[in-house]
Amino acid sequence: MEKIKQNALVKKVGFNRIVLICVLLLMYLAFCILTGGAFFGISRITNALNYAYFLGFLSLGVTFVIATGGIDFSIGPVMFCCALVSGYSLTTYGVPMALSLIMSVLIGVLFGTFNGYLVAYWKVPPFIVSMASMNIAKGIAAVFTKTQSVSWPQASAEGGWYRNFVNMNGFPVGLVVFLVVAVICAIVLNQTKWGRYILCLGSNEEAVRLSGVNVKRWKMLAYIICGTLVGIASIYFVAAYTTVQPGYGDQYNNEAIAGCVMGGTSMVGGLASISGTVIGVFIISLLQQGILALGFTKEYQYIITGLIVIAAVYADVSARRRKN
Amino acid sequence: MVKKRAFGKLKGREVMVLGIIVAMVILFSFLSPTFRTYPTLVSVLDNSYYITLMALGVTFPLITGGVDLSIGTGLVSYALIGGYLIIHMDMPVGVGILACIGMGLLIGVFNGVLVAVMDLPPFLATLCTCMITRGLGPALCGGFGVSWPSALSESGTFRKIFKFTTAGGTVVPIGIIFIVILVLIMSYVLNHTRVGRYTIAIGSNKEATRLAGVNVKFYHMLAYIISGLFAGLAGVAYAATYATIYPGAGAGFELDAIGGAIVGGVSASGGVGSIVGAFLGVIVICLMKVGLPFIGLQANWQQIFTGIVLIAAVLVDVVKKKK
Amino acid sequence: MGEVILTMKDIDKSFPGVHALDHVDLEVRKGEVLALMGENGAGKSTLMKVLTGIYKKDSGTITYEGKEVEFKNTREAQDAGIVIVHQELNMLGHLTVAQNLFIGREFKKGIQIDDKRMNEEAKKLFDRLNVSIDPKETMSNLTVGKQQMCEIAKAVSFDAKVIIFDEPSAALTESEIEEMFKIIRDLKKKDIAMVYISHRMDEIKVITDRVTVMRDGTYVGTLITEECTKEDIINMMVGRVIYEDPKTESAVPKDAPVVLKVEHLNAGKMVQDVSFELHKGEILGFSGLMGAGRTETARALFGADPKESGDIYINGQKVTINTPQDAVDYGLGYLSEDRKRYGIVVQKTVAQNTTMAFMKNFMKGIFIDKKKETDVAKEYVDALATKTPSVEQLVVNLSGGNQQKVVVAKWLARNSDILIFDEPTRGIDVGAKNEIYKLMNKLVAEGKSIIMISSEMTEILRMSDRIVVMCEGKKTGELDIAEATQENIMNLATREIA
Repeated sequence: MEKIKQNALVKKVGFNRIVLICVLLLMYLAFCILTGGAFFGISRITNALNYAYFLGFLSLGVTFVIATGGIDFSIGPVMFCCALVSGYSLTTYGVPMALSLIMSVLIGVLFGTFNGYLVAYWKVPPFIVSMASMNIAKGIAAVFTKTQSVSWPQASAEGGWYRNFVNMNGFPVGLVVFLVVAVICAIVLNQTKWGRYILCLGSNEEAVRLSGVNVKRWKMLAYIICGTLVGIASIYFVAAYTTVQPGYGDQYNNEAIAGCVMGGTSMVGGLASISGTVIGVFIISLLQQGILALGFTKEYQYIITGLIVIAAVYADVSARRRKN
Repeated sequence: MVKKRAFGKLKGREVMVLGIIVAMVILFSFLSPTFRTYPTLVSVLDNSYYITLMALGVTFPLITGGVDLSIGTGLVSYALIGGYLIIHMDMPVGVGILACIGMGLLIGVFNGVLVAVMDLPPFLATLCTCMITRGLGPALCGGFGVSWPSALSESGTFRKIFKFTTAGGTVVPIGIIFIVILVLIMSYVLNHTRVGRYTIAIGSNKEATRLAGVNVKFYHMLAYIISGLFAGLAGVAYAATYATIYPGAGAGFELDAIGGAIVGGVSASGGVGSIVGAFLGVIVICLMKVGLPFIGLQANWQQIFTGIVLIAAVLVDVVKKKK
Repeated sequence: MGEVILTMKDIDKSFPGVHALDHVDLEVRKGEVLALMGENGAGKSTLMKVLTGIYKKDSGTITYEGKEVEFKNTREAQDAGIVIVHQELNMLGHLTVAQNLFIGREFKKGIQIDDKRMNEEAKKLFDRLNVSIDPKETMSNLTVGKQQMCEIAKAVSFDAKVIIFDEPSAALTESEIEEMFKIIRDLKKKDIAMVYISHRMDEIKVITDRVTVMRDGTYVGTLITEECTKEDIINMMVGRVIYEDPKTESAVPKDAPVVLKVEHLNAGKMVQDVSFELHKGEILGFSGLMGAGRTETARALFGADPKESGDIYINGQKVTINTPQDAVDYGLGYLSEDRKRYGIVVQKTVAQNTTMAFMKNFMKGIFIDKKKETDVAKEYVDALATKTPSVEQLVVNLSGGNQQKVVVAKWLARNSDILIFDEPTRGIDVGAKNEIYKLMNKLVAEGKSIIMISSEMTEILRMSDRIVVMCEGKKTGELDIAEATQENIMNLATREIA
């Protein structure tokens, strides 16, 4: 075991990541066998992935927030708020598609800024901010749409081109976009000042402050990045599902956080891995769809995801305790 | 003397919230004549029962400096299971009610173990249980909604605890009596028993409490058990008020309760809080819920206002602490 | 004088790298107040922790009421009647006074806590001690002084026979101290033995019967308070032979320009009207006892904590420093005494910590120039002789001395000209200490200026060109190294409060 850990290649990729990839592959294999090949083949995989991208963006976003040692569980409802408000504008007020998409992202940014400002500058506990903005997002969406669900255009309809973001003539555009965004996120987190400060302040905010760094600004930035990605996620959500209903979205919080925590991002902050999050999200998505494919209802998804997050967080907590 | 301190004297925050309630009632009544009617009062109370019960329970984890986010989806889940037993398994209503409360207790223990024994961050641990309870009810009951026995049927007597219709057709919301009794009991528990004392002590300074020889793990866990128990009771109240339980509902209910508690002066950072305050805070939330449509605003404005009020309430504490 | 109630004999205790207690003796008698004195780190607190079971002794015997004892924890010591009144208070701010006094051992009436009886008992207790505190008051509403009284009352309520006061007066006002003395005199009459740890010479004279002095983990001697003078005690406290050569004269030329001038700095109780100047190439030592306000002065100067008033001039220019950001921009660097909390991000690499204060300089467009980062970090690793396998090593894996060097590197990489070293060698072993000293001398030779806060007398005398002494939040004196001696520094550091 120790020998494997010392191997140069293993060290480079990271032992935990290799374990995660193995888990992913084994799960895939298991589901292929159990479902009699429901996931087997490229087209089936990409088809399954269509419903996973939005979760991926959410997970990437919340990774930044968790890296600062905070939490944001308003992301699901905020994503719905983005999709509902811009979708309603599109269908009812005739706002052009391109503008609606931009609007989606902007609403996400707005919520991110709001959350970040309250957490960083006013020192309101993140979980209170999350609760409040979850409520506000749901309220705004419901008020704006008069509590009606919104259906974005079908692929064949006018303005249906946005669905090409997910899949164009069988080519998985969504996968490419998701991976590109993930790479950008990884670069931001590891290669830029932004990411450096976000990670450092998640580890030891006071030491960073005493180094003459404006920690509030960087902390807020993490929430803004998260909000932006939530906005993008909303586009991928409607592109996959078209219909959005006000009052929902909560369940995606957990799934997104699950992907993040499974990927090795620590709840106490300072330790985050984008590649881990990506693999984590794939595992969660596979699990979600595998459960359905096996004939279980989505209720089992909730229960299993909940238990997995608990296990992942417990592993994180006990690993830290052992170190101390 | 002790009694007087507990029930007779309201704290500053409680008086303030009471003032807000009065102001809201006056404002709504002024703007809308239909608000000033008896059915509206009944409607406010109907809306408040399950939220108040949740708030009574969740105040305990909040005072320890934690939170319980699982109560909302929890209560729907428990009511679903209870109703399933009555309707589909032909169990007596009593068993259904007990099952509802029992499930709440069970999840409370689960949360307590996660937070107090395994040391997980409370908001994350209970966010997970929130998801789990959301799936649990439908998973156990086949994913369909259930209707608890109607008030008119023989086995619907339990609903009369909350609302009683006289021969003349007048509705008497006697549930409020039941609620007030529970408020008094929990206020007593918080202020005059070791359970309450150590709950406050843990929220105030956990380490010092441990050094004083208190079994901190046990009392910390107990806070979550109380929260679970009251989520179970809230499930019964919800079933009694709304009869039909839809699977998957309940997300966001917890925010009304936690928001109410925090508006009522329970500190988000622990150590401070009163049951009466939490109760009054819930009334504020329910007034918004019921009252806003009367002044021409959609009911969902309540959610937006709740969010804003929640942050405002916490900001008041933050600013106070800065001073 | 009463009979002996507690004897500690030949107590020996070592921590890795430190011989904290070297065969120490202590004897306490019924109805007396025994002062336990010594410089910071002399071993007073360690001795008391050994007594109450927080630390396990390596050898020696403790005899209490005629029997040999060894307590496993404070609880056992408490049950036997030995109670510590801590300097930092273990209070539950949200509960009332009575609730605090009886936490964990409440009176009950059925399932109900008998608050009424607890209030009565607390009242009785306070009456007996002659203090006026409302048992029903919320603890956080009391002044620190009153809270301290509550701690003492709590100790008494355990039927204590020996009470240890660990710097009880540090946070009290004079009238509060007077009140506390009244209680102590009362307790004396009740034949309770007390150990009083304090730096305040005037208090020692007023309230104690005997003084036991410790130095560098050893027992020096015991005097009868009435028969000794302040000078006697100071001589016992500092009377060590200094092996390292102390500086005999300042290395700074007379005409060296003033790089930093602080005038009338005020920040709370711990920083009152502090003024000083720092010359280019100088090491300005800040001496004083624990709680003298030196760290607070540094933090206020650096913008880490808010200040009420005061002017700061850098190179003759008046500047405004409200945040650490401002300070860093003006070329200040602060090396905290608590490196792990305030100095470094332990979960990050040596290179990342080195560049943290000056990311601007390590950017290539929007990207971090990792090559430059690594190169510069390596440069400093070599220059400071930091022992680390590579600059990619996580700082948590380095020893204390090397962590300190990483913090130094951080400020050097920032081109900081004025460095504030707060206890630069705390928790660092002897060999590494000398390296840090060499490094500091090298830095000033290169034209940097250093403020060095230190509680170690030898360090102050060895390194400083000039010494500022503080006591109780005020500057009490300034000495040139040529005129500084252990005795006159200690004299200033323990100046009586007027």
